[in-house]
Amino acid sequence: MSEEIKADKVMDLKGLPCPMPIVKVSKGIKEVEVGQVIEAQTTDPGSLTDFPAWARTSGNEILKTDQDGEAIKFFIKRNA
Amino acid sequence: MDRETADNLIKLFQGKLNEAMRFYLETCTRCGVCTKACHVYASMGHIKYIAAYRHEIVRRIYKKYFKRRGKLWPSVGEAKELTDIALEELYEAAYSCTGCRRCMVYCPFGIDTQMLMSIAKLLLIGANAEPEILTMLADTSIEKGKSMEVFKEGFLAGVKNLEAEVVKKWKIEAEENPIPVEVEGADLLYVALAGAHSIIPAAAVFNAAGENWTLSFFEAVNFGAFVGDPTKTKLILDRIINEAKGLKVKEVCICECGTAYRVMKQLSGSQPFKVSSITEVHARYLREDRIRVDKLKFKEGITYHDPCQIARNGGVFDEPRFILQYLTDDFREMSPDPRYNWCCGGGGGLVALGEDTLDFRMKSSKVKVSQVKETGATILATACENCHTQLSNLNDHYQMGVEVKFLSSMVADALVQ
Repeated sequence: MSEEIKADKVMDLKGLPCPMPIVKVSKGIKEVEVGQVIEAQTTDPGSLTDFPAWARTSGNEILKTDQDGEAIKFFIKRNA
Repeated sequence: MDRETADNLIKLFQGKLNEAMRFYLETCTRCGVCTKACHVYASMGHIKYIAAYRHEIVRRIYKKYFKRRGKLWPSVGEAKELTDIALEELYEAAYSCTGCRRCMVYCPFGIDTQMLMSIAKLLLIGANAEPEILTMLADTSIEKGKSMEVFKEGFLAGVKNLEAEVVKKWKIEAEENPIPVEVEGADLLYVALAGAHSIIPAAAVFNAAGENWTLSFFEAVNFGAFVGDPTKTKLILDRIINEAKGLKVKEVCICECGTAYRVMKQLSGSQPFKVSSITEVHARYLREDRIRVDKLKFKEGITYHDPCQIARNGGVFDEPRFILQYLTDDFREMSPDPRYNWCCGGGGGLVALGEDTLDFRMKSSKVKVSQVKETGATILATACENCHTQLSNLNDHYQMGVEVKFLSSMVADALVQ
């Protein structure tokens, strides 16, 4: 059984087209402390590639990705 | 600003000085013809938004470092030193300009404001003073190109979720793939944006036309071009060029994204494939009778906003109007002429900067709102993601009472099976 991740901040980005989910997450992650986690909820299928690529370049870490139909949840730990 | 930074910026400036750029920097007679050409000036009335004023911000730095009189007698030569204040002025000039080139059409010498603003943007990058969001987006795009295999699984999962919606718009045989990916030898590589709205309607139309197509792994938009970074622009562009060459396609079709189309069309050089916008491809399908559409699908009056990067800067004027002949008997052309069309106010990276630029984008685009309203149309079609977002924001802000639609989605919605 996988461990449940507790988010320190939840961002509802559903319905936003590219690149807004990444734009908002890159700002939103600066509003939590290093080591804390944000949960980003999107419906944009492009975010399945955008988020991991952004995490690599920004030095942050995607702990988990949940996908249920159109709804996608990313749990992102602020490292940088 | 420290000396090392200033020296670096002067080198960057020098690198942009080809003959065309020197012509733009040395030719302005301050005749004033460009005064009312800029939608920002026409909407807000501040002189800093006149094209010639924007030129002057760059030109004075040019005079200081590249002209004898400016070097020896800066106050006489109207020269300006590179300082932090100068950088702020460069930012204001560059990021209040959408690069629509409407002023260039009016200028008797054809001075290209977008090219002069490309100097401003490059200097801002050199000083680490560019909008960091645009650089972040460009870096994300480049990262996807470096590590495609890592991101492939996520991409394929995302695409799989869209298949049912494609089939709803155009039924296909059970053994056929509604969204083909990695098809070597396909005739056409479609480069979409990273969103369902950019993939589903396009896929339905390709399938309806019996196109031998494949979907690109990469999003079309080039954030390197928005931020004015030539190196990043090329890296982002090369991802798609390499993919197209690897798949041996004959045509690269760019989705409704103005900058993506202009960059691919004008900067990709000689390649073994041709570059088309999706508007051109849809016009071709209709001309060749490969698709049929229902002219009664849209009953209200329709007007069309020409995206600056596709029309004035890309040369695609006739095709959207050709398509609209098939979709309506009530097309209402905006005035003035499409070549003098007002910019929507969202280009040059402003829409990608989101809420940070929203207030400016609304205030600077009043002339566009008036232009649309004067048509009396209730459907406002366009063929660019940036334009669509900006026009939708304007529609909400000014309660324009129109429905903003992508032209390609209208074609898909009107398909006759």
